[in-house]
Amino acid sequence: MELPKVYYEKASFMETTSGNIISRQSLICGSQNMIFGGKTVVMPECIFRGDLANIRVGRYCIFLNRSVVRPPFKKFSKGVAFFPLTIGDHVFIEEDCVINAASIGSFVHIGKGAIIGRRCVLKDYCAVAPGAVLPPETVVPSYSLFGGDPGHFEEELPECTEAMMKQATVGYYKNLIPSSKVEVSQ
Amino acid sequence: MNIQPGAVVCKDSVVTGDVTIGSKTVIHPKATIIAEAGPIIIGENNLIEEQSIIINRLESNSDSGKKRVMIIGSNNVFEVGCHVEALQIGDNNVIEMKSKVGRDVCISNGVVVSCGCTLETKETIPENTVILANGTRRTQLERPAAPTSQVEFLTKIFPTYHYLRKAQGTK
Repeated sequence: MELPKVYYEKASFMETTSGNIISRQSLICGSQNMIFGGKTVVMPECIFRGDLANIRVGRYCIFLNRSVVRPPFKKFSKGVAFFPLTIGDHVFIEEDCVINAASIGSFVHIGKGAIIGRRCVLKDYCAVAPGAVLPPETVVPSYSLFGGDPGHFEEELPECTEAMMKQATVGYYKNLIPSSKVEVSQ
Repeated sequence: MNIQPGAVVCKDSVVTGDVTIGSKTVIHPKATIIAEAGPIIIGENNLIEEQSIIINRLESNSDSGKKRVMIIGSNNVFEVGCHVEALQIGDNNVIEMKSKVGRDVCISNGVVVSCGCTLETKETIPENTVILANGTRRTQLERPAAPTSQVEFLTKIFPTYHYLRKAQGTK
């Protein structure tokens, strides 16, 4: 099944040399602490808080509108520290999510409006249902779908999840077409 | 707008109307504070995270000449994406992510409104209550901790990464 073509206004997005397509209306704080792996897509009104701690994002990650990616913090006896956040490759994060996780593996799908609590760990090949609320320090194992509020195990994901996520993310990136190019072809 | 010395307010935040921000309060970028129907007074040591909306909303059916003051106490935490219209908020509360607090609600001290909860009815929430998303409420013995250590940390690093609004000046 082919994903629909998504047209974006070329002027309102930046395209980097490694193929990242980042909206100019997104807010990336502390961009010197942010690493985007390459061929990632950041839609408008996303917020990345690189000023709090390092954020490392892998290849072919998709962040849809209004998602917030924030490193988690931990209270120590001497104060508070924000921990780096790593996101793996081929991760599809839908609209309105709030991500406070300590780490997200590869090939992960986070549904619309999900809230990932502080210092959660999402292993590779897992998924979070739309509207789920994961309490702090939840560990989501591989090949599982977590949903509900508070987040709990809902069902197992098939072994083809890796291939599906790869197809979804690569397909989304390939079908993201700048609208000025469309005008030229017509 | 009146920003007390010691408050850290990012320029990227939207602060409109007559808003008084107490010292040691941190307002993250992309937070929205709109004083439409009257002034908003925010106390000290609060933490207002991004995408949170604090509105003193102008209602179409209320007396247009009447000014309503929204008073927010000290040591509160407004997490990402919360939507607050309540006129009275006490101290040491935590309004968690993506929750909604309506205009007629009166929040006392030590209240935790969990992720995704919506409070719309006219009521006063008693002290130290925890409100869960499925509607249940329970009382806890201790108040939530004040965000002092986080506020201190953010006060140190924000000037490095953000443009801040000047304190004690009108815009």
